[in-house]
Amino acid sequence: MRFIHLADVHLGAVPDRGSAWSSRREEEIWETFRRIIAGIRENPVDLLFIAGDLFHRQPLIRDLKEVNRLFKTIPDTNIYIIAGNHDYIGRGSAYKKFRWAENVIFFDREEIMCIDDDKIPVTVYGFSYCHQEICESLLDGICPEDGDGYHILLAHGGDEKHVPIDFRDLMSSGFDYVALGHIHKPHIFGNGEMAYPGAPEPIDRNDTGEHGYIEGWTEGDTIRIRFVPFATRCYDIIELKIDEDSTREGIEEELTEEIARRGQENIYRVVLSGMRSADLLLIPEKLKACGNIVDLQDESRLMYDLESLKKQYAGTLVGDYIRFFSGKISDTEEKALFYGLQALLSTSRER
Amino acid sequence: MLIKRITIRNFGKIHNRTFEFSDGINLLYGENESGKTTLHTFIKCMFYGIPRTRGRAAKNDTYRTYEPWENPGDYGGTIWFESEGMSYRLTRNFSRERPFAELLCQNNGALLNPDDGALEEILGNVSEAVYDNTVSIGQMKSVTGQDLVHELQNYMAGYEGSADSTIDIQRASQMLKMTRKGFQVQENRRKKAIDSEQIRILSRITYLEEEEKKLDARMQSIRGKINELDPDGSGTEYIERRIMKTRRKAHYIGLTSALVSCILLILAMFMLRRSFRAAAVICAVIVLAFGFIRRYMLGREADRLAEYCDEWKEHYKKLTWEMLHTERALVERQTAIENLREEYSEGEDALYRISPEAEEVRAINIALSTIESLSVNINTQVGTRLRERTSRILAGITNGKYTEVLMNEELKMAVNTEARVVPLERLSRGTLEQIYFSLRMAAGELFCGGVPFPVILDDVFGTYDEERLKSLLMWLRGEKRQVMISTCSSREAELMLEEKIKFNELLL
Repeated sequence: MRFIHLADVHLGAVPDRGSAWSSRREEEIWETFRRIIAGIRENPVDLLFIAGDLFHRQPLIRDLKEVNRLFKTIPDTNIYIIAGNHDYIGRGSAYKKFRWAENVIFFDREEIMCIDDDKIPVTVYGFSYCHQEICESLLDGICPEDGDGYHILLAHGGDEKHVPIDFRDLMSSGFDYVALGHIHKPHIFGNGEMAYPGAPEPIDRNDTGEHGYIEGWTEGDTIRIRFVPFATRCYDIIELKIDEDSTREGIEEELTEEIARRGQENIYRVVLSGMRSADLLLIPEKLKACGNIVDLQDESRLMYDLESLKKQYAGTLVGDYIRFFSGKISDTEEKALFYGLQALLSTSRER
Repeated sequence: MLIKRITIRNFGKIHNRTFEFSDGINLLYGENESGKTTLHTFIKCMFYGIPRTRGRAAKNDTYRTYEPWENPGDYGGTIWFESEGMSYRLTRNFSRERPFAELLCQNNGALLNPDDGALEEILGNVSEAVYDNTVSIGQMKSVTGQDLVHELQNYMAGYEGSADSTIDIQRASQMLKMTRKGFQVQENRRKKAIDSEQIRILSRITYLEEEEKKLDARMQSIRGKINELDPDGSGTEYIERRIMKTRRKAHYIGLTSALVSCILLILAMFMLRRSFRAAAVICAVIVLAFGFIRRYMLGREADRLAEYCDEWKEHYKKLTWEMLHTERALVERQTAIENLREEYSEGEDALYRISPEAEEVRAINIALSTIESLSVNINTQVGTRLRERTSRILAGITNGKYTEVLMNEELKMAVNTEARVVPLERLSRGTLEQIYFSLRMAAGELFCGGVPFPVILDDVFGTYDEERLKSLLMWLRGEKRQVMISTCSSREAELMLEEKIKFNELLL
């Protein structure tokens, strides 16, 4: 028996609104989903689990039709779907009256149901969201029913407002595999008795790292799984260390090279750190033009020795200025301190 | 404070020299490049250490400039000075290998570490910046008249706004505002992008709502039609019953008329009279004909009703189908609107979230307002006093020719003579130098606080004519501060001898 476990596809999401690659990303999320189905068509699996948030918002009938059309192309695969907190089955949800293809099993209730597969000895348990939030721990004390075959649980959630889960309990509850969804970062528990596959395509700038889905198969009595990286691009953090000898051009070049090394297509968050000399003036816009950069954080500090400057300039404006900020530690105030110092000192005349 | 003696082991071009100073005027005479500036730098470095730059600029920093070539391990010397009645000896070696610093209080033999605050206290907390601003006075750097005026105005503004003549608050603010502009442009661009997206979403919502309304109206009209067709919801029940009744009636009438005519015919067989028999047959025929006609008509009616019923059913089916589809389309639009509203509110959140750029703008605003308010503070503390004191010194060294130094809001300066106000631009270089001197002397008195520091005049009098120099020297004689005049001309010495001004001459 082989299966694929997907979650948090978020079809219809528009990542990083306002940036140049936003609509392209929207398309890529769909495209990756299609590629996964195409992969199954090439190399069929017995089961496909979709553990919630297939859609980013309430699905429209035409979205469901398109997804259903894709499911019809893999008739040998039985598809088990639960709705998550994003595509929850609300009052007017299109999920309610939709007629799925024969190979699709949709869990339409906010209580745990169990269904025996019609082809292979597998019992699938699952529940959907009918609300945006479920604060009850629906999974506490759950255990598989008696019966032969494999017992697999689909569940969406794991934080306090979305079905809090005691992961250790759930792992030892007797299921052969627990297919989770909701957390966008892939995570395999223990020896693979339970896993979050993560989103197949990262949805926003916080979804750094690799993305894909989980593939599972049986070896004797046990289920083995592995993570399959599949995303078109990833979000990555580049930390640029600045030192006293850094120049603006040098930093821009370093960033361009680093982006070329890690992959031009990826989307980056850039963090500048270290100490920079007072005559280094960075132009954020130019830096942002070095690649797909979604945000630029400047955590570098000017190379000023505040204590000795305070001493050196005591009794003058610069000294007063440093004194004014001493003891104030908020990030903004620290920034203000360095901005002011840099302006005062770099515009000062020679003695 | 009084500097009494200096011994230089190795510092720049000076090696193993001792200089004795007296209170009052010291005249340090030496040719160009003989080391006058080196001596002044030495004094400053003894008190404040040698600044060492890191990185690219290190090659030309003070440390490297004065590092001795031959004996780099013996880099420094000793200075003896008095402050508030106590005598001190300060020895330093700046070398990298054997750095050394020692401060001895000669009155009680206490050995102090000069770098842990003891020296600062003895210097009356005069910081290096204040020292630079007040102790050492050089020539103005500018060459042309207009530049001189600017330089002087900048000095004055710097002192008044920041107690530091080198600071230029206006340029600093300008720089901050430029940086702020950069971030604002980015922030505005970000907001604009979101804004146009929001507008797109809104117009999409409006369009969908329009459609929703239309679909809703269509639903209403379909519902009306269905009501009209089937007011009590019984559907085809009544009409079907009528069809059945009519058909049954037709059937019965046919049957009855056939039966009656049969009876009549049988009766006719038994009739004896021919006429009766004929009448019965005719009756039978009439009954039969009547029955058949009636039956036919009722059958027609039933057929018509059935046809109508089928039509009705067709119509009803069509309407309900339409209703279903319209409803589905309506729900689809409603879901889309709901999704767009969600997207819109996320956009609003993004619009009002504090972006990193906005954070930078906030920091810069804090910097600007802090500089402003601290500067106003300094101005109220020293501004007026500085102008008064400068005016008094200027009057002193010009024998009362100029009585007051003025500065307006735009930082433009002027001087007041007995008779009128003269803008700086109209004054000669000599007078500008006099104002500069007065300003720096005044600043020295004001900013050094309790401990009057020596004043070092490094080649200041090059542009002074004899008259100006004489009155300045006369004025200096009356000052209580220790004065060190370094010069490469013999004019100062000659004039002081002529005027019988006591001074201590040192040769480099």
